[in-house]
Formats: sequence, C-alpha cells, structure tokens
Amino acid sequence: MKSWLSMLFTLLMLLPASLAHAVEPSIHEDEWAQYRSRFLDRGGRIIDNGNRGISHSEGQGYGMLLAFLADNRADFELIWRFTRNELLLRDDGLAAWKWDPAAQPHVTDVNSATDGDLLIAYALALAGSGWDNRDYVAAATRIAKSILRETVVRHAGKTILLPGASGFSSQDRDDGPVINPSYWIFEAFPVMNALVPSEAWGRLSTDGLQLMTQLQFGPAQLPAEWVSLRSAPRPAAGFERIFGYNSVRIPLYMARARVGDTAALARLRAALAAEGRPMATVDLSTGRPLQPLTDRGYMIILSLLDCITDGTRVPETMQDFQPDLYFPATLQLLALSFLREEHAACL
Amino acid sequence: MSLMRNLTALAAASLLIGTVAIAPVRSQPADDSAASAAAVPLERQGRLRPVEETAGGAGRSGTQGTAERSPLGGRTSQLRMVQDAVSAQAQPPRPSGEPDLSALRYFASRGDTARLQAEIARLRSLYPDWTPPADPLAVPQNVDRQLEQLWQLYAEGRYAEVRAAITERQTSEPGWTPPADLLSRLALGEARTRLINASDQKQYATVIELGAANPNLLNCSDVDVLWRIAEAFVRTDRRQRGVDAYRYILQHCDNPQERLATAQKALALLPLADARPLLALERPLADGQPEFATLRDGLARRAVAEANEANRTDVDPADVERLEALAGSEGQASDMLLLGWLHRAKGELDAAETWFRRANQKEASASAAQGLALVLVARGKPGEAEAIMFGWRDASDEARATYLAAATNYLAVEPAPVIAPEVLTRMATEILTSRHTPGAQQLGWYAQSFNQPQVAARWFETALQWAPQDEPSAYGLLVARDALNDRPGVAEIQRNWASRSPRIAAFFERLATATVPSVRTAAAVAAPKAEPARPPVLPRQGPEPVRPAAETRGISRQSACQAASSGGPAASAQQMLMQGWCLMDLQRPLEAVESFEAALKSPSAPIREDAAYGQSLAYLRLGLTDNAAVAATKSPLRPARAAELQVAILANRALAAFSAQRYRETLIYLDQRAALKAETTDLMILRANAYRALGDTASALQIFSVLAEIGNGDGMKGVEEIRSLDDHNG
Repeated sequence: MKSWLSMLFTLLMLLPASLAHAVEPSIHEDEWAQYRSRFLDRGGRIIDNGNRGISHSEGQGYGMLLAFLADNRADFELIWRFTRNELLLRDDGLAAWKWDPAAQPHVTDVNSATDGDLLIAYALALAGSGWDNRDYVAAATRIAKSILRETVVRHAGKTILLPGASGFSSQDRDDGPVINPSYWIFEAFPVMNALVPSEAWGRLSTDGLQLMTQLQFGPAQLPAEWVSLRSAPRPAAGFERIFGYNSVRIPLYMARARVGDTAALARLRAALAAEGRPMATVDLSTGRPLQPLTDRGYMIILSLLDCITDGTRVPETMQDFQPDLYFPATLQLLALSFLREEHAACL
Repeated sequence: MSLMRNLTALAAASLLIGTVAIAPVRSQPADDSAASAAAVPLERQGRLRPVEETAGGAGRSGTQGTAERSPLGGRTSQLRMVQDAVSAQAQPPRPSGEPDLSALRYFASRGDTARLQAEIARLRSLYPDWTPPADPLAVPQNVDRQLEQLWQLYAEGRYAEVRAAITERQTSEPGWTPPADLLSRLALGEARTRLINASDQKQYATVIELGAANPNLLNCSDVDVLWRIAEAFVRTDRRQRGVDAYRYILQHCDNPQERLATAQKALALLPLADARPLLALERPLADGQPEFATLRDGLARRAVAEANEANRTDVDPADVERLEALAGSEGQASDMLLLGWLHRAKGELDAAETWFRRANQKEASASAAQGLALVLVARGKPGEAEAIMFGWRDASDEARATYLAAATNYLAVEPAPVIAPEVLTRMATEILTSRHTPGAQQLGWYAQSFNQPQVAARWFETALQWAPQDEPSAYGLLVARDALNDRPGVAEIQRNWASRSPRIAAFFERLATATVPSVRTAAAVAAPKAEPARPPVLPRQGPEPVRPAAETRGISRQSACQAASSGGPAASAQQMLMQGWCLMDLQRPLEAVESFEAALKSPSAPIREDAAYGQSLAYLRLGLTDNAAVAATKSPLRPARAAELQVAILANRALAAFSAQRYRETLIYLDQRAALKAETTDLMILRANAYRALGDTASALQIFSVLAEIGNGDGMKGVEEIRSLDDHNG
C-alpha cells in the first residue's frame, strides 16, 4: 500500500500542475467534443481519416492522452478498452499496431509501433495517477516493461528506441538499427521510469536529445523520417528520403517535455520555415518542398516555438480548433494544451 | 534514493498482483521457466492439464513422452480429476446476502428462456435458500433504465461501451457500483474477445494466458475457445496439453458437428500417434454410423504417409487396403505415390513399380519419376531409370541425386551397354556440373571398356581432382595410364598410392615379375563413322583441332600449369587464362573449362574473349557440343574466331546427328557448315553416308566418286559398295 502511494506521488509530481489540482482541463470540453465526433467511433476506436479510416496504436494512445487532458473519464475508458481488446494481444505485451475496419481479422499487421506503445502506457499512467485508478497504472507498468525489454536497446554506446518489435534492429536489417526520431516522446520517459525504474530511460532521453541535434540532412538540414544508425546517421535505405509529416512532432515533443535548450529549438524552427519559405514536407536530397504543411495543427508548432524562443504571441487563428484531419487535429490539441499549461502568456 | 528503492519494490509487487497471468510466455521450447510460469494458473485450476506432470516430476519431460508411457489407469484417474475440477470451477465462491436478479430480469424481458433457466440454476446453486419466482417471465422489469441499457450493450457484445457507460455513471453518480454479475460476465466476454483476436494473430502465449486466467471460458458451450486453446498448446510445444484439450471436448461435449470438427482439427495438428487415441472416443451417430467414418480415408493416407516419412513399414493392413481401394477408385496420383513408396520400402518392387507407373501416368511428377527410377535401378534397369529421371533432374536436390545414381548405375552395367551418344552426352554434362565423383569414375570405366584409355584417363583424373583421396579413381587412372603406356603417369600413381592401396601396390608387383611388360599402343579415339556398330565414347576430340595439341606431355609443361594454378584464389584472370591454355596443351580439357570459367570473370574484354574462345574449344574437345555453343556466347568474339567455333560446333553436331541416325539433320548441319567453310574429306564421306542412309544413292555415289578420283580409300570403298549393291539388285 505504501509503495502504491509513493508511486502515485511520483507520478503526480510529473503531472502538469493544472491537472494535479483539478482546475479547468487544458483541453476544453467543446474541443474534445469536436475531436470525438470527428475521429472517435462509438466502439472506442480512433479513426485516422487521412489513412483510409484505419486505426492504429498511435491513434489510440493519442486519443487516450487527449481524453485525459480533457478530463473525460468515460471516453478514456472507452478508447482504452477498445485498445486492450483489439490491439493489446501480442505475446510480448506490446500492442499490434494496425487495425483495418475493412479487413477480417481486423489486425492486419501484428508488429508493434513503439510510439503507439509509449503513448498508451503514458496516458494510462497519467490517468491512473490523476484519477487514482490502480488498474490503469498496472496496465501501464506492464506495457512499460515490455517497451523496455523489447525496444530499448544499446547501440554504439547509445541508448536508442527501436520503432517496433521486429524489422528494425541490426540483426533484422543490413543497415539496422533503423530509428524514427519522431518516436522519441520525451515527456513519457520520466513517467516510464516511475513505472519501471531503469537508467535506460534517462539515457534514452539524453542520447535522444543529442541525436536530434545531429539529424540534419541535405540542404534543408532537417531530420529524415527513417534514419539508419549502422554507421554515421543517414536516411535509411528503402524509405523515402524526406522530412515527412511524422517528423513535425519532433520539436513539439521536445518542447512539451521541456528538454533541449532554446538554441536547439530555435535552430529547428529556422529549418522548418522562414520568411518566403513556408513549412512543408521536404525532399532531403534536393532540399525542395513537397507538400505544404498549411493545416493549423502543423502551423501552431511554429507559433509554439516562437512563443518559447522569444515570447511571440500565438495568433488567434492558431488557437481556433476546426478539426479536419486526425493527425494535425491531434497535434493542435497537444500544442494548445501545452501552451495553456506552460505559456499562457502567449495566448 | 529511498524513494527509488520504494518504487522498485512497488514495481515488483504490482507485477505480482496484476500478473497471475502476466508472465510472458515465449514460444521457444527451451524456455522452461516461462512455460511453467504460464502453466501455473491452469494447473491450479486443474483444467485442461496433463496431470502426469505432477506425478512424473518437474519440467519438460511431461510434454510428449509421458503420454505414451503413462498407463491407461493413470489416464482415467487424470480424467476424473479434470472432470472434478471442471465441475468445481462452475461454482464460484458462495456469496452472502440477497441474489442479484438483474440478469434474471434482463433475460426474462428478452424472452430468452434458455439463458433464463441457466441463470436460475446458477442463482440456486449460489443461494440454496432462494426460491425462484413461479413465473420468471413475469418478473418485473428492471426499473433501472440505465442498467437495462448496460445489459443491452453487453448482450450486443459492445464491451468497451459497457465499460464507458459504467465509468460515466460512476462519475455522475459517485458511490454507484455496477452489479457484480454484470462485471464478471463483462470480464469474461472481454477475455473471450481478446483470446480469439490473439489466436487469429498467432499470439499463442496470450491465448494460453487468457484461458488460464478465465477458466469459465473453457466449456462445451464455447468449443471454439477450446479449439483455440488446444491449438495454442500444440503450436507452443506443449502438445500433450493440446491433446488433453481435444480429449476434454470429445469426452464431454455433445454437438455432433463440433465433435467431428474437433477430430478433424486434432488430425490436422497432431501426429497420428496422438490423434488415434482421440478418435477412439467416437460415438455412434443416430443412424448407427460411427461419427468419424468420413475421416477414415484421411487417416489411412496419414498412416501410410507418416510411415513412409519415418522409413517404417509397419502400417495397419486395413489402412493399406483402404488406400489401395481409394487409389483404385478415385485414382489420385498422390495416393498411388504413397503406395509406391510403401511397397518400395517393403521391398515389393513389382507392386511399387506398378503404383509409380500409374501415378506417373495419372499426373507426372518428380516424386513419381524418382520412385520409378529407384525401383528400376533396383530391378537392374538403370537405362530406363536414367531416361525417366532426366527431365526431372533439376526438380530438387533429391531428384538430382536420383538422376546421378541412375546414370552412374547405367554406366556401370556389365557388360558395358551401347549407349546412344546423346544420352552419353547428357549424362556426362550432368555428372560434370554436379561434380559427381562416382559418375566420373564410371565414365572412366565405361571408356576403358570400349578400349579408349585416353578418354578414361581424363575422367579418372577429373574424379580424382574432385576427390583427391578417392582410391578407386586412382586405381582406374592407373589402369588407363598403363593401357596408354604412360610411364611417368604410372610412376606418379605408384609414388602417391602404393603405400595406401594394396591393389595398387599389387599391380606394381605384377609388373615387376612379368618378363615382358605389356606394352599396348594407345588406342586412337575412335572416329564414330569408322565403326558405326560401336558408339562414340565421350568425351572425344573435336574433328578439327583448331589449336595444335602439345606433342609431348612434358613434365615441365605440367609443372608450368601447376605454377599458374598455385596462384590460388588470388590468381589473376590472366593467369587463369594461361593455365587454361596450358591444360588444353596437356589434353586436360575438363580442367581447362574451369580455368577459362575463372578467367571469364575478368573485367578485361580481351581476356574474356580469349577465355570464352578457349572454353568453347575445351568443350568441343570433350564432345560437349551444346556447352561449347553456350561458351562461345559468353563474350563477344572476333568474327574469325566466332566462325571457327561455329564451324567446329556444326561439324560436331553433324557427327552426333549421324551417330543418332538422324540423317536429315546431319545434312542440315553439314550444309550450314559448308556455307562457312569448305567441306573436309572426312565430312564429305559423312555426307555421302548420310545420303546413302536416306536412300539417295545417286548423291552418295557422286561424292564417293569425286573422292575416289583423288585416291581416297573411303571414297573408293564407297563406290565399290554401292556398285556391288546395284549389281545384286540388278
């Protein structure tokens, strides 16, 4: 009983102040209602409407995290139960990553996706401590153990995160290990450490941070979506050599976790966009823009970085939540939640 | 620091609480601890558990072996234990207080009498003093509309939504607790969903873990779950537990379709030895037929197939009879094959041959050809075996081995049979590409038996090169060299082998005591046309040696070749090329082929050209015309060389066609060749003989006459023969 309390205490210390004290949730009720009506199916599945309406462990994890930040216990329970019944099936305790409503059986790829697993465990830990639910913390602990055992590895003196349980390690690929830098959800690592204490979590954070500053490829000096760490980091073979949608999360995660100094964030901000060079996905070989990133879910990340680096106010339009696609809508709510908790002055 | 320690302690403790079932079960068979960790819950429940493990001791010994060892009596008592455990399972700990009638009301409201009765029975077992309502259907509806809605969601299998609704209500109505019955049913429903999802994804450890943690899932009302549990056990190397699960169904569950499906699944997943005792649990159907009658055919097939695979012949005669009837009536080639292999293993070659022939006729396959070839070899008909196997030689490693065995046996027949040249060519080619030492050796003896010691020596040398310690090859080489009166060669073998081989030593003793050493002249490699009765023995020299052969087999030349080859793997392409020519000079075209092959990998175009040219010539000398043609295309050649090779290839083809009595083809090749280069005298004779064989004596006579006029003996003989024939007819 004592240990339960002390873990609860530790987790509470890690929670954003507003949550621990049950003031207004950092995601507003109407925002969550819009998100839910658009992306949450009644059975508890988060629909990625930008990807033929499939679901995945990442979406479930985001859904749980946002439901927690919106302080909606019933929706959290709904999303979690779907996740548990439909994805949390693997022998190693990790979640199967891909679920297709059109396929039978629905799980079409039983491999795991580490960002999804991290988000699910993280959201469970937050909800478990915030709402005093031991089952959630027990489930979070179990997943955290699996993440640590299956996907946190040492390579060339560094601690890294494999993107999935199979297919990415140095044994699995000639150019392995291959990583996805946007899977480093920095804010989750201290929470994982509270669940399953290990020095590896701290190293994952430190080494990851160093890695993020190294990943500057091509004329655009931006990170690639998939990076081979076999020797010096380089874009991994067999994947598009691009700065892609996923990578937009890197500065958001760094900012939310309050890791990385202002200079590093400022450098990333400059690489992402500048006057006359709007934010876009980028062909890293040529440095040329591919798809413009105009959704305010992407744009707000620039505003957030501006706010952190020089206190610039976040434009009103960025604060207006008009969800269209699942992925940017999710990022916008994460950014807004963070700004409300940490940088209310910029709003 | 102390906080850290507390956290560590907590993590360990919470793992214990949450994880009766959490310990991850890996599918590796070696992972004993994991396997036993997962086994704990099931054993504690006493369900689906092979009890012999408790009796037989710890660890893995109990998975497969004990089942066969344990006496029947043991089995029966285990069964009783399982049954007891199962009935005990059905009764959760007795609660106190008033029964919760919400489920009863729910089923009543839906008119679901079956579930209603089950619920009444359940409540009565829990509350012996409780009297069920006289008319359950008249039990008043749940007044709690929200709760009714929860039951509704539950009934539709929308478990996540039930959970969300419970949370919702607990949030808005603090202190409200859902009925315990709903919660336990919900948990069971969720566990079932997860178990089936995990089973679909082959996550067998999860399947077993869920089954272990939810014993109420395991009963006849949900056979699918039992099947999945059984499969998970079998697929994670706990076969005996899988057997137990299947047995549980066949002993306790009554649905005939499910019973039949259970038997089918057991047959599909288990070895026959495990499946048969399960099938013995069959019951008669309503019409008196045994319920698994339809599985008998498959069973017979399995019995024969498994015996064949394990090289056993102890198949129940009833199974063989059944399969023979099947193969006769339905006539599936696969059944015929099974019978062929079985009879072969029993040494019943007549029957085996019959079934293999029928199989091959029904549906030609590598397996049918192989079986037939092996039987034919065993019956002393290797030539037929070779012919049958040739088309399948590349089907598999086994097929190739069978082909080579057939070819080698064919060559070894005594007295040496006359083998068609194209058959000899293809056997030699396959023996070469497979580097099959016994085959090369037999080619040596075959050539030797047709008094072609030079050719024989080449084959024995080749065999010895592939297997340097092979005494029979050395002995063959000795015999061939002796026939060639090749003294340095003979001495070399004496030096290397006399101390190791009694028969080689004895050979020299005989030589020493003989008054006059037998000196035989080296037999010239017979030109096929000279003696049409005797087939050309391969390999033979090309008709037009385009590169002068070395006059002598000088020791110095040989060592020059060795010097080049001593370069080993690092030898340059240039060196390999030189070695190729050197070996050609030494009349060792087989080895030259390999040297040229190595040189062909050179990046330098001139070296590649030389190598392709050399390799083509080497193949021509070996009589392997097709290979020569292929080699000539391995690099672009200068026009003069290409033409030269083409001329030689066409001449060889003409000779081969003639030997195979394909006279029209002979003429076509000769015409093609003549377009490139004037016909030589010997080819003119070949042409004349082809005309004669085709009945065109006028054309034949014309050629013979031309040659006779320039004093050619063959020409004069030809003219004479045709005239005398005409005289006879006239």
